[in-house]
Amino acid sequence: MTAAPPKDSDLAVELVGITKRFGAFTANRDVSLAVRRGEIHALIGENGAGKTTLMNCLFGMIVPDEGQIRVDGRAATILSPQDAIRLGLGMVHQHFKLVPSLTVAENIFLGMEPTRGGLIDRAAQSARVRDLSRRTGLTVDPDRPVRELSVGIEQRVEILKVLARGARTVILDEPTAVLTPQESRDLFRTLRGFTEAGMSVILITHHLDEVMAASDRVTVLRDGAAIGTEVTAETTEGRLAQMMVGRPVTFGRKARAATGGATVLSLRNVDAHDDRGLQALHDVSFAVRAGEIVAIAGVDGNGQTELAEVISGLRRLSHGQITLSGRDVSGAPADQVRAAGLAHVPADRLVRGVDTRETISANILMGRQHQAPWARGGIIRWGIVREAAKGLIGRFDIRTQGPDAPVKSLSGGNMQKVVLAREFSQEKPFLLVDQPTRGVDIGAMEGIHDEVMRQRAAGVAVLLISVQLDECLRLADRLLVMFNGRIQAEMDPETATLDEIGLQMMGGRTSERAAE
Amino acid sequence: MEILSTIFTVSLVAATLRTTTPILLVALGGSFTTKAGIFNIGLEGQMLVAAFFAVLGSLWSGSAWVGLLCGIGAAVTMAMIFSLLVVTLRATEGGRGRPPNSRPGGRTIALTTASFGVRGSIGNPGIVGLPRLQVPFIHGTRPWGQMLSGYTPLIYAAIVLVFVVWAIQYRTRLGLYIRVTGEKPEAAESLGIRTTRMQHIASVLCGVFAGLAGSHLSLGYITMFAENMSAGRGFMAVAVLIFSNGDPFKVFFGCLLFGFADAVALRLQTVGMSSYLVLMVPYLVSLLALFALSWRQRDKVYRTMRRTLTASPRGT
Ligand SMILES: Nc1ncnc2c1ncn2[C@@H]1O[C@H](COP(=O)(O)OP(=O)(O)O)[C@@H](O)[C@H]1O
Ligand SMILES: [Mg+2]
Repeated sequence: MTAAPPKDSDLAVELVGITKRFGAFTANRDVSLAVRRGEIHALIGENGAGKTTLMNCLFGMIVPDEGQIRVDGRAATILSPQDAIRLGLGMVHQHFKLVPSLTVAENIFLGMEPTRGGLIDRAAQSARVRDLSRRTGLTVDPDRPVRELSVGIEQRVEILKVLARGARTVILDEPTAVLTPQESRDLFRTLRGFTEAGMSVILITHHLDEVMAASDRVTVLRDGAAIGTEVTAETTEGRLAQMMVGRPVTFGRKARAATGGATVLSLRNVDAHDDRGLQALHDVSFAVRAGEIVAIAGVDGNGQTELAEVISGLRRLSHGQITLSGRDVSGAPADQVRAAGLAHVPADRLVRGVDTRETISANILMGRQHQAPWARGGIIRWGIVREAAKGLIGRFDIRTQGPDAPVKSLSGGNMQKVVLAREFSQEKPFLLVDQPTRGVDIGAMEGIHDEVMRQRAAGVAVLLISVQLDECLRLADRLLVMFNGRIQAEMDPETATLDEIGLQMMGGRTSERAAE
Repeated sequence: MEILSTIFTVSLVAATLRTTTPILLVALGGSFTTKAGIFNIGLEGQMLVAAFFAVLGSLWSGSAWVGLLCGIGAAVTMAMIFSLLVVTLRATEGGRGRPPNSRPGGRTIALTTASFGVRGSIGNPGIVGLPRLQVPFIHGTRPWGQMLSGYTPLIYAAIVLVFVVWAIQYRTRLGLYIRVTGEKPEAAESLGIRTTRMQHIASVLCGVFAGLAGSHLSLGYITMFAENMSAGRGFMAVAVLIFSNGDPFKVFFGCLLFGFADAVALRLQTVGMSSYLVLMVPYLVSLLALFALSWRQRDKVYRTMRRTLTASPRGT
């Protein structure tokens, strides 16, 4: 990086003094941000810091109350995404805007389809996608419906969509939240290719290691204000974390008192199949005792999803036995498993965690709406529910207007806290937490980890499933590594090294990646 | 045996086609609104209004075709009022179906009383019905002639329109945008596709088809108007649309099924079975069959139903 301040002509995009208010709430306060040509500029900040809002202003999704935007050195008026696209901007949104029933090519060319004789020229469309794929190295099958794609490929389609519209500056809003570590690395390599070709990238992320690995400069937002911009090579993770949270943050292993009680959950020789009918779990056996955190580590897609579903009664096992609090719950439906003592934080909060259209109170109540004291004589007592919700909003630090706010008005991390608040407050003997901090920022992550430790101290048996190895190491008393649907190894998180665990995550074979 | 052979004759095919046509036409119209994400419970009302004005047009001009145009015009007007309420003013979908649907029944009654001094129905020798098309070569030859020739043009049109509607929805930009509007409005908006405009267009297209359906009712086989002559076909079409998700070919088979059951029921009546029970049969049979057919896609159907029945107004 050059130390000299950049000339105007070096700037691809410049935001000056952007302020955006939603009613009385200020989401962006006098934020300035300059993105140079050919750089990857990371934008980081806690959930609700205003990153998405700022980028929505730049991309014309919303119009700022104050401030100016300059693109390629010229003042720009951006009132709609179309204006932004015309100026060479492109945005990959946090929640993809793809149409599941349409093909890859149809999605990429939506709104600008080539036509012939009044009909859409599907052959030309596919050919152009193939051409674009070849030029960028982003391989896709143009004729496949998007609903059949994995999230990683969906993201690739979103990026191609942006490129097909001639973007020279690409904004990605938390692109790695849905990716495996391997996919993230591929993405960064692609983005580096873009900047080498003279394009610019604005990368929003929560992961400081990604900032360090992928960006040239980084701007930190906190509570709607820009705290500062750093040259990545000259800063540290610790310093960035402190800028984000406003106080020093530690990443070390959580201190703990030795506990250990009776076995709460046990799996014996469990087999299960995935949605396509392939065997996803092979002979899985382990136990979780009261006051103990057992972590399942592994690369995403090695059977963790099926394991969580089998335990929580959402998927039938094809062989084996599961016991919870002394009851045989093999093959029992979800409500019976819950009655037997399960609290469950599911991996995909939007699908199984919350009903986004409902209020926070309703989401906190969910599943208990028939029980005292929440209901009496079949009537829900909303007063009590709201009071409880208020208490949990405080305890879990959910950033919101109040218990009556719809969950869809919350940021991802705060939605997750709603799920945690509901499940952790049930006082069940067994807690299954699946990817509890996916898409959650550092400050909130700490809070979540503290809550999990508190559950452990209260004698709850905790099964943590996470693709984040550092999370597993930080919390676990025992660490199980999953690979290809099997428990590959059991390791002691106090002594195991990252390399040893990485090796087991790859199936125990030596490979380039494990040796990294 | 004798009853069976009375019921299942070549003319049953003809009767099936005849009863299928109005519901198919109106359901094809509804397929546009379904795809655009609007739960169109106004179909019945639009069809009825079209039936009424088709008769008036025919009576006053002496031409069935003018009648047809009047029917379409009336249905399109209704459809535009509907989409104004639903799309522009964003009334909730449950409430939105009600006013435009429940009023026309009453309104047409009031209109018949005012225009003809009689209540509820217009039967007048002055009403000119649609001509029967005689297909060359096979007309008059049995049994093919009886099966394939001698229908009003709208029956042939309905079948051709199945393919036309499919082509519009799946091969043109307009159709693509309508589908995207219903499936993922935020994706459409983010690319500059105006979802409200698409929903208006879908409503108007729906009105055209409802107009054809209504005109067929009052100028097709019988040339008269009776209050409630649409006999719940608009609602049946809504059911077909839910189960078929608005896909034109599935709509076609759903309607054919209903038409067949309806035709059989009419037969059964002629051999002396209790008419109330028999008249219920086609609806039951069709609903059950549709449900069975869509069993494998039940998640999708439930989702559509939930979306339409809870009718929470969508964010923009
Ligand atoms: N349309 C909106 N109406 C009201 N408040 C909003 C809206 N969009 C965002 N906010 C609020 O603005 C704040 C910043 O949100 P956002 O930019 O999404 O944060 P980030 O992307 O950094 O997590 C949050 O507190 C959020 O609740
Ligand atoms: Mg965000």
